[in-house]
Amino acid sequence: MRSEALKGHLDVLILAVVADRPRHGYAIIEDLKQRSGGSLDLPEGTVYPALHRLEAAGFLSSAWGTETGRRRRVYELTRRGRRELGVRRSEWRAFSRAVEAVLGSRMTQVPSVLATPDGGPRRA
Amino acid sequence: MSYRENLHRELTDVGITGRLRARILEEIDDHLQCAPDADLGDPQLIARRFADELGTTRARRAALTAFAALALAGLLFAVAFLSSPQPVFAGSPAGVRWTFRLAGAVGAIAPQVAFVAGVLAVLRALRRRTTTIVAAAEARVILRRATVGVTMGVASMVSLVALALELHPYLAGWWVTLTLVCAGVGGLALLATVPALLAARRLPSRAEGPAGDMFDDIGAWLPQGLEGRPWRLALIVAAGIFVLMSAAGWMASDGYDGMLRGLADGLLCLLGFATLGRYLGLWSPVGR
Repeated sequence: MRSEALKGHLDVLILAVVADRPRHGYAIIEDLKQRSGGSLDLPEGTVYPALHRLEAAGFLSSAWGTETGRRRRVYELTRRGRRELGVRRSEWRAFSRAVEAVLGSRMTQVPSVLATPDGGPRRA
Repeated sequence: MSYRENLHRELTDVGITGRLRARILEEIDDHLQCAPDADLGDPQLIARRFADELGTTRARRAALTAFAALALAGLLFAVAFLSSPQPVFAGSPAGVRWTFRLAGAVGAIAPQVAFVAGVLAVLRALRRRTTTIVAAAEARVILRRATVGVTMGVASMVSLVALALELHPYLAGWWVTLTLVCAGVGGLALLATVPALLAARRLPSRAEGPAGDMFDDIGAWLPQGLEGRPWRLALIVAAGIFVLMSAAGWMASDGYDGMLRGLADGLLCLLGFATLGRYLGLWSPVGR
């Protein structure tokens, strides 16, 4: 999949990663890269503004925690964020089914511009 | 200069300072400790992204907060206004000072401006509710509308206090008390929005793009012939106000007075459109 297409869905990807368990920024980015099979090739720093924005929107909450002796900002999905993730997942599934239905189907119906009067394919 | 120092400078340049900047830098430090060779991206780009994304969120939040406070203040204003034993703005008892007339004029005009500005602010904020980054000019328009709405809302509450105090000798004591309580609560609700407005003002989006105009807010509900013709729309609204107020006057058996009030309100609508229209992004260009 193209990186640009994934970037357009960065918010929902972040919410999905954080939904499993609370994580700090670096872990979120690593998980995004792993789960996307390396397709999400974006400057890692650009994920942080998205994390802050999602927190400001009430979808994530964050707090300082200590891990391996270091102070780290840990992000967690809020109830509102979980609802939003559910909505976005449903929307994505509906969208992907619709696209799959079009792209995955064989030409069982010949488009009218290509069809002969008896319904068969027009010859070149 | 290290990456951290570069980012510190760029964040400061876009208006991110204090605790927010410290938090961002600490998160970036942690990231670089985990992966010293990480591709974090150009510090200028990262700082811009923070400003654009958080500026958009803050502008939207300021509009929603302002609208909620204005709705409460409007409700309280209506309670005080409608519960009055006699019309507050209808006439002045003999002996009242000039402050009564001034408060009456502000109390008649300010709520209307507050309503229009607040509604336009929230309309644009809702229309952009899923937008990650709005243009700087558009964020400015949203913030201006919210600020004008709140300012006019506070002016309405102050006028209510002034009216209550001026009418104190002439009206029932319970109404004066009720009005002061309504104005106090409404005023406090409006003042509570100031931090959100200031936060949005401190961190503006810097993205390029047009501010849009009122057809971006209400264009979907308008007939096609009005598209791109703001003054025609303003004239129709002013004429509508004139007709409505005249009809209300006729129904109250005071047609002449109703017509005069309708004419005055219609002209005020046009005056407001002329003076504030560009500032509030009712027509383009704005904020250049």
